[in-house]
Amino acid sequence: MLFTSLEFFIFLPLVIAVFRIVPVAQRWAVLLLASYVFYGFLHPFNLVYLGAVTLVIYLCGRWLARTEKPSGRAAVLAGGLVVVLGSLTAFKFYDFVAGEISAANLIPHFALPRLGLTAPAGFSFYAFSAASYLIDIYAGRLTAQQKLAGTVLFVAYFPKIFAGPIERATTFLPQLWSGLRSDSKRIVLGLQLIGWGLFKKVVIADNLAQMVDHTFSIVSFAPPVELLLGSYFFAFQIYCDFSGYTDIALGASSLFGLTLMENFRRPYLSRSTAEFWGERWHISLSHWFRDYLYIPLGGSRAGPLRRAANVMIVFLVSGLWHAGLGYGVGWTFLIWGALNGFYQWAGLATRRLWRRVGEALPRVKSSAALAVLRAVITFHLITIAWVFFRAASIHDALVVLRRIGARLGDLPSLFAIYPFSTEQLTAFGLIAFLIGYEIVDERRPVFQRLADAPVAVRWGAYYLLIFALLLLGRWQAKEFIYMQF
Amino acid sequence: MQHLERSAFLFMAIGLVLYAGLSFGCERLLFRNGHSNALYKIATAPPAADYDWLVLGASHAMPLDFDDFNAFMQHETGLRIINLASPGTGPLYNRFVLQSFLRAHRAGNLLYVVDSFGFWSRAWNEDRFADVKLIRGTPFAPATVALMSDYVRNDGVSPKALLDYVSGFSKVNNRDRFQRDAWEGEAQFDRVYRPSVSAVTKRIAYLYPDPQAPAVLAHYVDVFGGLVAIAQQHDTRVVAVKLPAPAQFRNQLRGEAAFDDSLARILAERAVPLLDFSTELDDPSFYFDTDHLNRTGLTELFQRRLKTLLMM
Repeated sequence: MLFTSLEFFIFLPLVIAVFRIVPVAQRWAVLLLASYVFYGFLHPFNLVYLGAVTLVIYLCGRWLARTEKPSGRAAVLAGGLVVVLGSLTAFKFYDFVAGEISAANLIPHFALPRLGLTAPAGFSFYAFSAASYLIDIYAGRLTAQQKLAGTVLFVAYFPKIFAGPIERATTFLPQLWSGLRSDSKRIVLGLQLIGWGLFKKVVIADNLAQMVDHTFSIVSFAPPVELLLGSYFFAFQIYCDFSGYTDIALGASSLFGLTLMENFRRPYLSRSTAEFWGERWHISLSHWFRDYLYIPLGGSRAGPLRRAANVMIVFLVSGLWHAGLGYGVGWTFLIWGALNGFYQWAGLATRRLWRRVGEALPRVKSSAALAVLRAVITFHLITIAWVFFRAASIHDALVVLRRIGARLGDLPSLFAIYPFSTEQLTAFGLIAFLIGYEIVDERRPVFQRLADAPVAVRWGAYYLLIFALLLLGRWQAKEFIYMQF
Repeated sequence: MQHLERSAFLFMAIGLVLYAGLSFGCERLLFRNGHSNALYKIATAPPAADYDWLVLGASHAMPLDFDDFNAFMQHETGLRIINLASPGTGPLYNRFVLQSFLRAHRAGNLLYVVDSFGFWSRAWNEDRFADVKLIRGTPFAPATVALMSDYVRNDGVSPKALLDYVSGFSKVNNRDRFQRDAWEGEAQFDRVYRPSVSAVTKRIAYLYPDPQAPAVLAHYVDVFGGLVAIAQQHDTRVVAVKLPAPAQFRNQLRGEAAFDDSLARILAERAVPLLDFSTELDDPSFYFDTDHLNRTGLTELFQRRLKTLLMM
């Protein structure tokens, strides 16, 4: 069931109605049932995968709780992770690797059979949540759940199952058992988040998607201006698509009295790629990699070379994790990960230099102009990486970048004569609105401003939002980008 | 919480009033920009109109009403003709259009342009009711709501289609709200097609999305039989025709023999003649795309066959 579907707009109020009727102590059961209905709605067979992952981590968790011997605990953890993350890897890469081996003819007269494996929707997200559950029990940060229901709901909770946030059991489960209650403040916040998330998804992302898809399907023929616009538009499409989903997930959870972790914090206002990845973009995944990969590898405590290697490993693994994200499984994702890793290397290498510049020229360092310049540069670096993410192949990505690069000097004059379509002009307007909104939101959250505003202003803004959804939204989209892997 | 509920109620009430106003405006806009939608044509036809010929079918029948071609045919024959063909529609949607038409108007003859693709998949039948392009061009009428409700109850049409129609959502959400509601093929009516094997292959794959199941064919042939029966109950003579298609397109059609057999059987039962013009015009210059006749092709067909047929 999609957040933008009619079914969801019937399903959610129904679940809320039942949730409110049921005594507080049993409300988790309503959410559990709703989650399985939600996830199995389109493909009931996917419930088998969901159930299997849940059972594996529940049993391993119980086993870990009973085992005291370190080697035994490590073996249980490894076994559980191999099942959960191994199946994720097999779903994502088996057919791709089999194809590559056949194509490269590494072993003459030998070809691995293609199995046609595809991961069920959202598998990458709940597999990572499930892995964190086991690791946290192993590390002593979490007590293994006595009740199977807690583990089931933690993995299957419907607002987050398709595209996160990748929640931690350490923060999710205590909320569940402390009683799910929602007050008027939470309900208003939830509805605001759902409205804003829908706006980002159906008004911004899905309007941009049409143009992005067109441009990236004809990279060799599209004019350089269109390639540049397509690259910019994709940067905003993927942000609005993914963060729109997250906002709806957070909003729906707020209606049930649950708080999920913040996943996006106005990422295109970042002044460095380190800030982008560490603090603003897909925060739940960045923190997952930080806590379960980067730190166990030694993090930043093991010397500069080891640190650089760890950073690159994290970004390469992140690239692999993103593979299959609606744009197939290909080497482009590894390049995308590596490129972002290089950005971090560059950031680490120049950190001292920037500190010295800042000390020598404190006024320049704190100037708004420099902040804007840094944000613009960061946005472009990230956008260059997105080109690899979106393009059908490395060749296509290089064609896009090469063709834009070759006409970079002429772009102002090309822009002057380019016949912009109504859709493109609408897209500029929407992006400008989004940037303006986020700048205002960065200073003080817009929802807070609205809460303090007179009722006419507040309701006027809500009606504007709703009518923008009705008049400008594209409601025919069949998926969110991030739920496809 | 009570205060919140009161506020929510008021907010929704105001929102509904605003939505109703918006919906009303979009409905008015539909009457300004309406053009090729079958239900729109029915709604804007003179009251209780009596036509000599009613044309039904999918997009292959639509060029008969492109630009001034229907006026040309009427002038040449002295007959009153209304064309209610709709793109991508099989017998179920056409039966719906026929019933809508017969509620307010009459036709002496029904020319049904048969296309096999419309009999092989629900994509061209039940699912077409939910097509936003069709819904947003269909004027709101309580009688249409009632008829569509019957189709939801009895024919497997999605309740979402009915909800969309009743709520007017697709009209409010119409991106082309200020443009004429014309099928994109109409703008190409004078174009000449350059043959392309890959275009034909793509087109055939699009028209036949499902594996061809005999039970599906039998079902839609029955639906077509029902359509013929409804027409005959209203004293409307039915003639079925297969319009010309280029050889390159015809040769790639799937399951055509099975379709022809089933069609012949139902037509024989209902004493309906079938005129097969499919091999009449092979030259690609008679088409504006892989399978739709252009003005030259239609004029040729009219002079060769259609004029006599209509005058019969």
